[in-house]
Amino acid sequence: MSIRSDPSDPEVVARVLGGDQEAFGILIRRYEPGLLRYATRMLGSGDAAADAVAEGLVRAYRHLASCREPARLRTWLYRIVVNRCKSHLARHATRDVSLEEAPPMADPADTEAEVERAEQVALVERALERLSPEKREAFILKHVEGMSYEEMAVVTGERIPALKMRVHRAREALLEALEEYR
Amino acid sequence: MNPIDPRVHQALDGEISPDSLPPELRRQVERLEGAAALLARVPELGVERRVMASISRPAPTRVRRLTRWLVTPHSLVLRVRPLWSVALAAVAVLFAIIPVRETGPRLGQEEGIAQFVARFPGAQSVAVVGSFNDWAEGSIPMEDQDHDGVWRASVVLPAGTHEYMFVVDGERWVADPLAGRYVEDDFGRENSLLIVRPAHR
Amino acid sequence: MNRRARTRCGAALLLGLVTGLMPVPRALPAQSVRARLEGRVPATSIPVIDSLIREAGREGLPTDLLVQKAIEGGAKHVSGERIVKAVELNIDQLRRAQALLVSAGDTPPVTPSEVAAVVWARKRGLDSMTVTQIVSAIPDERRGAALHAVADLVAHHFPADSAADLILAAVRQGMHGGRLLDVSYAAVQELQRGHSHSEALAMVQHQLPNVPAQPTPPKSSLERARRPLAASHGEPATP
Repeated sequence: MSIRSDPSDPEVVARVLGGDQEAFGILIRRYEPGLLRYATRMLGSGDAAADAVAEGLVRAYRHLASCREPARLRTWLYRIVVNRCKSHLARHATRDVSLEEAPPMADPADTEAEVERAEQVALVERALERLSPEKREAFILKHVEGMSYEEMAVVTGERIPALKMRVHRAREALLEALEEYR
Repeated sequence: MNPIDPRVHQALDGEISPDSLPPELRRQVERLEGAAALLARVPELGVERRVMASISRPAPTRVRRLTRWLVTPHSLVLRVRPLWSVALAAVAVLFAIIPVRETGPRLGQEEGIAQFVARFPGAQSVAVVGSFNDWAEGSIPMEDQDHDGVWRASVVLPAGTHEYMFVVDGERWVADPLAGRYVEDDFGRENSLLIVRPAHR
Repeated sequence: MNRRARTRCGAALLLGLVTGLMPVPRALPAQSVRARLEGRVPATSIPVIDSLIREAGREGLPTDLLVQKAIEGGAKHVSGERIVKAVELNIDQLRRAQALLVSAGDTPPVTPSEVAAVVWARKRGLDSMTVTQIVSAIPDERRGAALHAVADLVAHHFPADSAADLILAAVRQGMHGGRLLDVSYAAVQELQRGHSHSEALAMVQHQLPNVPAQPTPPKSSLERARRPLAASHGEPATP
């Protein structure tokens, strides 16, 4: 019995460019979680992140033919969304904080472990917020999105030595912030 | 900012094994990896439907894009000869000293204006309650004129320090996420804090 | 207008500006305390709350804050017991604030607005040493704004002693009232631009006293400003 595997990115891109609009949904489902996670961490708001990612994906669809290496679609999509997030940050002096992002009130039904985890996440988010946008971007792409420095160079347009320096500084700043909050 | 031992960076970059590090440095690696793991939570949002709906619509024409550009605010840089700037300044002064009929409320010496803005998409009503209105709903309703989920109110209040919250749909009490200043309310929650500056300063 | 009159006007304006940042809490007549609480807090707790507030008034503490706290509890549908506890807690905070002011050199009786300023500062997380430092260095109504400005900085994780130093430097350069809040705002802005805390403080210190003012609301929203409507009594929202 043969097992049908998910189509690769180049296969899906070829289908979309051939007129199968619905196939773009495969790419959205594949990359939406990571893109939303990145944008939420950068912009501090679920609403702003959804806007940035949705606009980025629409743009990606309209310019899909210009993606020269469909095998590296992931970095191409991230590049579009990273730039959208930079535009948003440039337009807004302070990060948005939406109601959904506000620290939740403790619910008596939460277990102790869930409450503790929520507190730990809030602590790390506060520490991340203290980083400059460049350092925050570097840390998230490297350690949360799991990119290599080569991938980060494609996504950000920066050189690898500069990216390494930014990641190092981000780690130092984050560790210092986490120590302060302990 | 305290520099980290280079071996920590090497371990985090996968160049050496964290097990080869002394305990103190290994703890730093674990702290940072732990922080990254906590940030890896995927938000419960979805944009697929929205994106598919957008790509199903035809792309905006050049005329429509131009129209949109014309009505969207942009920052413009003007380069003016100094002589013209003096002339423009003189005209501006002339307008400033000729009395113009003022609109808006008359404020007392000890009053100022507070602006409240908050995002509650899907809400049917939002009100401001606080120490300035005995925490009673109904006296400061907010408005969402564009129906974009952004609620606003501009209120004349006594100058000074005030505690407040938003009441969403008559039942959900929320501290203002944009307040920047908070205090415990002594009832297990947080109030937002507002400092109203006298308008006549 | 002659020079003396101008000076008097200027002093009056200055006093108005600096006190404008402080509420003026008052001790209320006893009968109006009950009247304000009727229908807003559980009826069974009114006698206890009234008694606590009248006792606080006799000590010269600002009772308006206490009445407000009780009304707030009622609006949030908190039990009468918890409202009583909150009022007692706030009375304790007011007493401590009063004691701090006296130990910092203020001659009793200290004014209600001074006591309220210290309570706000402590509620916002300033430690008693920092508060004492500020009130000792600023012997007048400028304290209120200075305390808030320091608290703004501490809320953004500036060290309390450095925050106090910056604000006191601003006061020594003649800044007061809302301008002190512009100082803390400017430092926070530098932080958000990516500078470290120490860099942000140094940059703003260098700018004193010409720190940029915070942006003001657009004219259109000022024109739309309305006074609060008279809310119906006894219909608080359910929290």
